[in-house]
Amino acid sequence: MSILEIIIITFVKILFIITAMLLTVSYSVYFERRISAWIQTRLGPNRVGWEGILQPFADVFKLLLKEDIVPEKSNKPLHTLAPFIALFVAFSTYAVIPMGPEVTIFGYKVNLVVADVNIGILYVLALTSLGVYGITFAGWSSGSKYSLLGGVRASAQMISYEVSMGFSIAGVVMMASSLSPVAIVNSQYGWMWNAIVQPIGFITFVISAFAETNRLPFDLPEAEPELVGGYHTEYSSMKFASFFLAEYANMIIASAMIVTLYLGGWQVPYIDKLGLGETLTTLIQVGAFFAKIGALIFFFIWVRWSIPRFRYDQLMNIGWKVMFPLSLLNVVWVAVVLMIFN
Amino acid sequence: MPDKKRKKDLTFAQKLYLPEIFKGLALTFKSMLKPSVTMEYPEVKFVPPAAYRGRPVLVEEKDGTERCVACGLCSRVCPALAIEVQPEETELEKERYPKLFEINMIRCIFCGFCEEVCPEEAIVMSKDYELVFTSREDAIYGKDKLLVPVDQLKDRLEFLRNFK
Amino acid sequence: MPKLTIDEKEIEFKQGQTIIEAGKDNGIEIPHFCWHPKLSISGNCRVCLVEVEKMPKLVIACSTLASDGMVVHTQSEKTIKARNAVMEFFLINHPLDCPICDEAGECKLQDYAYSHGVGESRFDEEKVHKRKRVELGPRIMFDAERCISCSRCIRFSDEIAKENQLTFVKRGDRVTITTFPGESFDNPYTLNTVDICPVGALTSLDWRFKTRVWETSSTESVCIGCSRGCNTEIWVRNNKILRLTPRQNEEVNETWMCDHGRLNTFKFVNEEDRVDGPHLNKNGELVKVEWNEAYSTAFKKLKEFKPGEIAFIGSAYATNEDNYALVKFAKSLGVTNIDFLRHTIPGDQDDILIREDKTPNTVGALLMGVKPLAGGNGSKQIIELIRSNKIKALYVMEDDLIGDDSEMEKLLSKLNLLIVHASNFNKTAQLAHVVFPASTYAEKHGTFVNFQNRIQRIKPAVATEEMDRTLDGMSQSRWDKFGSKYDRWMQGKKFDANPSWKIISRLSGQSNQQLKYDTADDVFEDIAKSVTELKSLDLDDLGNQGVELGSQKVGSAKTVNSELS
Ligand code: SF4
Ligand code: SF4
Ligand code: SF4
Ligand code: SF4
Repeated sequence: MSILEIIIITFVKILFIITAMLLTVSYSVYFERRISAWIQTRLGPNRVGWEGILQPFADVFKLLLKEDIVPEKSNKPLHTLAPFIALFVAFSTYAVIPMGPEVTIFGYKVNLVVADVNIGILYVLALTSLGVYGITFAGWSSGSKYSLLGGVRASAQMISYEVSMGFSIAGVVMMASSLSPVAIVNSQYGWMWNAIVQPIGFITFVISAFAETNRLPFDLPEAEPELVGGYHTEYSSMKFASFFLAEYANMIIASAMIVTLYLGGWQVPYIDKLGLGETLTTLIQVGAFFAKIGALIFFFIWVRWSIPRFRYDQLMNIGWKVMFPLSLLNVVWVAVVLMIFN
Repeated sequence: MPDKKRKKDLTFAQKLYLPEIFKGLALTFKSMLKPSVTMEYPEVKFVPPAAYRGRPVLVEEKDGTERCVACGLCSRVCPALAIEVQPEETELEKERYPKLFEINMIRCIFCGFCEEVCPEEAIVMSKDYELVFTSREDAIYGKDKLLVPVDQLKDRLEFLRNFK
Repeated sequence: MPKLTIDEKEIEFKQGQTIIEAGKDNGIEIPHFCWHPKLSISGNCRVCLVEVEKMPKLVIACSTLASDGMVVHTQSEKTIKARNAVMEFFLINHPLDCPICDEAGECKLQDYAYSHGVGESRFDEEKVHKRKRVELGPRIMFDAERCISCSRCIRFSDEIAKENQLTFVKRGDRVTITTFPGESFDNPYTLNTVDICPVGALTSLDWRFKTRVWETSSTESVCIGCSRGCNTEIWVRNNKILRLTPRQNEEVNETWMCDHGRLNTFKFVNEEDRVDGPHLNKNGELVKVEWNEAYSTAFKKLKEFKPGEIAFIGSAYATNEDNYALVKFAKSLGVTNIDFLRHTIPGDQDDILIREDKTPNTVGALLMGVKPLAGGNGSKQIIELIRSNKIKALYVMEDDLIGDDSEMEKLLSKLNLLIVHASNFNKTAQLAHVVFPASTYAEKHGTFVNFQNRIQRIKPAVATEEMDRTLDGMSQSRWDKFGSKYDRWMQGKKFDANPSWKIISRLSGQSNQQLKYDTADDVFEDIAKSVTELKSLDLDDLGNQGVELGSQKVGSAKTVNSELS
């Protein structure tokens, strides 16, 4: 493959990912609204298009047409920058998530991942830590006490939960002996899913993921009843939409990460034993990847509309006194497992 | 800071939270499968029960006259000062009728006091909740909009007889 | 002084007073329908029954003379029971008309049913039916069902109006009021029976079904129908006068007023032909202009004439303040021809209230100096001088010189300049070159002096464009208090008019001798300084009863809360 071909293929992959991301993000908003409606025995948006299927577009148009208000007392450059950091971080994380095995399209061997980086997991961790800057900047630069409180809460919360998240991942990395997501997926062949092998790590990771994405029950940075809208109180129009998109993108990435790290990625147990032919198998595997993500997104939404928000001290207590020891325990557990089976 | 004494000590399972969380999730999942209660408004219209307090209307007798005798009590009792009545003499037996009867629907708060005070059962709360206007002037309902034939108000009148 | 005890309270009384009178003078109210302080005692309603110790039965307080040492109970169980029973009797045949009855809100029967009734009726038979719309006279409608046969109306026409026109006919539950055959209840005082009728049996055809009393505001004023100056109350809703009622003043009108004053002295205030804003005659037509233009034009034109060619006409309809300002203004121009017209109807007078002089302020106008100044001419000569073209400019304040006199009309059209203050477009105003819109008596503060030399105060009841009910401290109904400019009941017409003294003061601002008056009080202060008869008086010191000039002492002013029934 020439350099040019590699560039073109990568470009096509990026384009595909971004389009897919934007669409899934908008539709996860739509599904969030529909599912919450069902939970409350309502109907939800069902007017724009068949069953409201075009609602996301209507929403986007609405947001685009709104006036962009920048508070007079804000730090204007940072105020403008913040939503872009949030969005950029959310989208670029996706580069290292593998969607399927290696396939051959038009004679080219293509890896179904934008960048198969061997330290992909570190990359993800690094970027998500960057994500907190978007929120903190937003909170600080708005010049509003509510926003500031939201921003401060976000950074404290993210730092706390990143610790247990990191230790949970350590277990996975130990299992796969690699930092490459592709390798991690491959290591979960058959039923060797990390969720089954290291359930404690799975639980701590899922909970940390909730906290990292600021989703209920951990949505303290935006807690409407206390902080009006938290860090995005002073945002409107597309800038607000950017935060909104970033939050949902984060949710999708968190789902993708959970799938990749714990639920076998695109793996469907023993599908290669069925002899279905390469193309079909690949399709099923890619489908399985998205199906798993979809199920997790549903789980995210479902949890949000079932569980009330924690109090701030509870949040910190859980983070440091429960999650952190548990994730350490998980590392020990994996070590023991590895010792026994190797 | 000393630990606050709890009213009730939690068991280990309760301290874990997880069982309760799963119970909650199960509950919301169940309600997801229930049929929705939403009425799709412009197509499906809610028909309120007789106890509902929609906009106040004047009872129009079968002969086309209003039942109201323009006593002005509704106007006096109205906490929002929504009603204006201008009486005039009529040849009819009731001697007095409202030459002008106006309710300012911007002022009205649907309290139903007017209905309660009316000595003639001439003003009653209807089932009509569709109030749309685009100017202050349009919001002032005169007799043309207020008079409703008595047949259409049977429900409410019966309700008043039973429960007022 | 002899003493008696009512409800444990020892009170003094004058020999010859009845229990009810003695109680009333000491603030003890004993319920009554047929008794009226100004009428003879009839004693037929029985609601004033009280218990007197050592008397075997309850007695009626209205006709039992008080005696020394008497002990009366008005709240004992026996009395209350008797009162309840009397109320129940009244209500047996009284129709449930309150919703359509004009009396509701100021009805004695309604009040007593509430305070002295038992609140329930044991009567399930059919009530007696009588005629509900009987025109007793040209101004009065009678509802026979509502009448409680107290006979106040009969006694009033007999004793006060001195015309025995009404009587009871039939007996028992068929009893009713009627006029004598072939007669109409048409004496000049009939509408007072509407006030004293304790129920809504007698209603004024003019006021009937116009509004509810509680939607109106009332303002203390003085009638301008004749030189008696009966004390009145002006009832206003939505900036429109709906009725006048008499107000108690023992020195002037007791509690009465005549039908003419009651009906014919307020309608012009809200009439279509009101002068709304200043007008100038441009090319033979009166057109509305800005105030400033009117002032400058009027003053410039006035200056074109020599003082000897100008005459000023004041008015006995205008207040002292207006007349005083006019005289002062005339003097500042050097004009000496100044006078006012008399409006008397010889012979139209009685010894009850009505006076020949049909203006309220003749005495006041004279006191203010509205009379020819040294070397000047009176009204008769002024007219002659106009005829001979010696007087070319005339300044008329609040009077109609023409009326039905076509000769005057010809005469006035000869004038080179006619400036008129008028509230309505009368014939004089129509001929004028400059018309200033004058506030009526119901739209300004001021004083009148009646034929008894009594100076009395008027207050604004209707707002003009420059006024605001709240800011100017005018009386307000509930609607006035809580309405907004978007409510129809707040959109009553406000005319662009001003009191004459204000117009004159602003007009004089065109010269270098401005009369600096901001309020009617300012004018009055000036008057009190320069008119000996009004020395040491203050507008706020007049009370609501007025003061007789010459007798004034500091603090002689009285305020009486009218109690008509
Ligand atoms: S419902 Fe209440 S607010 Fe409305 S008109 Fe009647 S009394 Fe007034
Ligand atoms: S209370 Fe009844 S009768 Fe009286 S004015 Fe109102 S609607 Fe008419
Ligand atoms: S007279 Fe008095 S009690 Fe009788 S109907 Fe009229 S308001 Fe009611
Ligand atoms: S009409 Fe009135 S004043 Fe005359 S008797 Fe009847 S209740 Fe009395």
